[in-house]
Amino acid sequence: MGEAGAVAPEPLLRVSGLSKTFPGVRALRAVDFDLQPGEVHCLIGENGAGKSTLVKILAGVQTADEGTILLGGEQVSFATPLAAQDAGIACIFQELNVVGGLTVAENIMLGAEPGRFGAVDRKRSEASARALLDSVGFHDLMTSRLCSDLSSAEKQAVMIAKALRQNARIIIMDEPSSPLEELEVRKLYEVIARLKAAGKGIIYVSHKMREIDELGDRITVFKDGARVATVHRGEAGSEDLVRMMVGRQLTEMFPPKDRKPGDVVLRVKGLTGPRVRDIDIELRAGEILGIAGLVGAGRTELLRTIFGADQRLAGAIELDGKPVPPNSIPAAITAGLSLVPEERRSQGIVPVLGVGDNASFVWDEFPRQRSDTANRNETATRIIQKLAVKTLGLSQRISALSGGNQQKVVLGKWLSIDTRVVLLDEPTRGVDIGAKREIYRIIDDLARRGLGVVLVSSELPELLGLVDRLVVLNRGVVVGELPGTASEEAVIAMSMLHTARSGLDTRAAS
Amino acid sequence: MLEQQSAGAGASGETQTPARGRRSIDRRTLQTLVTFSVLLLMCLVFTLLSSRFLTLSNFQNLMRNTAPLAIAGCGMTAIMIARGIDLSVGSVLAASTVLAASLAVSGVPLYLAFAIALVFGALVGFVNGTIIARLHVSAIIVTLGMLNIARGIAYLISPSAILVGLPPNWSDLGTGKIWVFPLPIVVALVVVAGFHWLTSYSKFGKRIYAIGGNEEAARLSGINVQRTLVLLYALCGLTAALAGLVLSSRVGSGDPNIGIGFELQVIAAVIIGGTSLSGGEGRILGTVIGALIIGVLSNGLNLAGVEPFWQYVAQGLVLIAAVIIDSRVNEGVLKLGRK
Repeated sequence: MGEAGAVAPEPLLRVSGLSKTFPGVRALRAVDFDLQPGEVHCLIGENGAGKSTLVKILAGVQTADEGTILLGGEQVSFATPLAAQDAGIACIFQELNVVGGLTVAENIMLGAEPGRFGAVDRKRSEASARALLDSVGFHDLMTSRLCSDLSSAEKQAVMIAKALRQNARIIIMDEPSSPLEELEVRKLYEVIARLKAAGKGIIYVSHKMREIDELGDRITVFKDGARVATVHRGEAGSEDLVRMMVGRQLTEMFPPKDRKPGDVVLRVKGLTGPRVRDIDIELRAGEILGIAGLVGAGRTELLRTIFGADQRLAGAIELDGKPVPPNSIPAAITAGLSLVPEERRSQGIVPVLGVGDNASFVWDEFPRQRSDTANRNETATRIIQKLAVKTLGLSQRISALSGGNQQKVVLGKWLSIDTRVVLLDEPTRGVDIGAKREIYRIIDDLARRGLGVVLVSSELPELLGLVDRLVVLNRGVVVGELPGTASEEAVIAMSMLHTARSGLDTRAAS
Repeated sequence: MLEQQSAGAGASGETQTPARGRRSIDRRTLQTLVTFSVLLLMCLVFTLLSSRFLTLSNFQNLMRNTAPLAIAGCGMTAIMIARGIDLSVGSVLAASTVLAASLAVSGVPLYLAFAIALVFGALVGFVNGTIIARLHVSAIIVTLGMLNIARGIAYLISPSAILVGLPPNWSDLGTGKIWVFPLPIVVALVVVAGFHWLTSYSKFGKRIYAIGGNEEAARLSGINVQRTLVLLYALCGLTAALAGLVLSSRVGSGDPNIGIGFELQVIAAVIIGGTSLSGGEGRILGTVIGALIIGVLSNGLNLAGVEPFWQYVAQGLVLIAAVIIDSRVNEGVLKLGRK
């Protein structure tokens, strides 16, 4: 790590020769790594490349087999997450571990409540929490709110404030921008800038090349448990980094958009549900239609209402000219609709069951629609082969697969029956870059086979990279349509510009 | 989240060895084998403790006593796989037997009285399931309420045990034999075979595992969750009623006090058999072994001359021990699986 040594003599953290072996897997191979104060150091690599293991060792979740960790020049080893915390390492994982039943202030001060004789001094507690939140720019987050009511961005704010309360010198963030919207991501970057200015060291795990370019002072690439390279900002382009990560040149991330949409397959007229109102949409066979909008714009609710998972209050849906009966998922599936839900873990997979069972749910349930007459196991095997799911076999628990492979099964089960329109809600969330690309190919392939695809994604580059056309939602109504060639700025502008108008609309309607 | 639960598990997506796969398939079978060895061990101990334990007549007796538990356990297992629970089985058992007895006394042919009792049981379960699935009320609360209601109905039908006026063939179901096999065992075997097929091989079975494992994912896959749950509770009511008929036919009465606390024994049998309270896992054969463990325990302790009060203590200990062993085996297998 010669190039790093030149930056500053005394890093916050210096890791050398760190190795960790799990039975059968060398998760880390003699990894060197260091972190300077006031630096954002990005970790990238495919799932299983070793970055998680490194992070877990630093966080005290796992212990290393070999190697040393120097924290401010002192050798340390953490037996528990608490020990790491006490040493000044805070973690903000994707699963934001806030206590839902407690307030913002109570969460921030948890374990260090001011007061005496066992009674908490609420005023002081709230004041300290307020000061911490203000120091990173979260002026408008009320300390008295219950954490179960907070958005992902707000929960993250609580976690960051808590890290500061614990006097963390090193903050580890694992894909913090994944659950966030464009605007919230901007805010997060500002917060990170403040943390940098305060001399904190930040380890930032990400799958998004764009934010690595933007945030990373240095970037360390992992592959197969080893550190491939550490580069300074600007020393390597996105393509170089991706090549280092996957060990080969990735061709274009997105498939070419030379699809030729056919006739209208799905017609939505005046659709109104709990969170969407008066939606008109037409989708052609072989077309990928994107749905854009901010969080709360009603994108997920639109897909769920079309699919019959949320209540349809008014409006009509036609598939191939035939009406889809309202409020029945089985009827929607029989008509030819399918849905890949937003939350893979809580809505997509049945974790305790095997890959085969998970791939067979709709095949079991809709025998008259089966797209091939093979038996259950053959059908599941065919899906797994077609989508290149990496698994030990049909009976392996799906929860043992990586996120990308789980998602392929969730998507793949719809290929076992005749379906006309696929509704995809954040299909690549929490999926590594290689698997993302594979999922893009699958989506493209579905469209090329004449299916209609509706895609919801919070990642604008992904949305724009895939879709033929884009409908923008705001507060549950359609505010406009853009071609697939639109710029990100145009999409963001449309998502926000109409806020005032649609807000008025909503009020007028209610 | 870190993108995998642990690097070991995460890496399994990329590095694969067939041996790991085979172990993960065997996990449930291993669980059943462990429970079965516990049962065998208990039999061995009791054989050493009492010379009367390992005899044909004792085994017939033991099986006859265990049959109602196994029968009701089948319905309960199916519900618990779907992440539900039914606390009302003891009361439903009482209400349906008192109903059958009172009908039989008033001259209704026995088979018809039995059939009506079974329909009654299924109906109570149907009501349970409808409230739970359609109105989204917690299963514990609904079936706790039904526990009281059904017990009340039992007392309303007859405040005390019906002994006089029962037809002579009332006791056939409980005491009859086919060759050396007591009739209750035959009935239990048929129910067990039916439920084993239902849970392991039928489409309905796939649904209940999916619902127990992740209800929302099941719903979004087009599974009619409400209908499946209603049917499950109806089935459980049916098996409770059938267990009641077998039990009271053997006892020779229709008693509204019968089966108090029976629901807890049934749940204990299901859990000892390896069905998880958190749903998505469990098997009928495990429950049969669980019921036999409870049966052997009380039979063996009786023969060994242990006071009945101590039997409660023993049963409680076995339940707790079973769950601990089960989770240890599970952990152990998962650890092995990583190798």
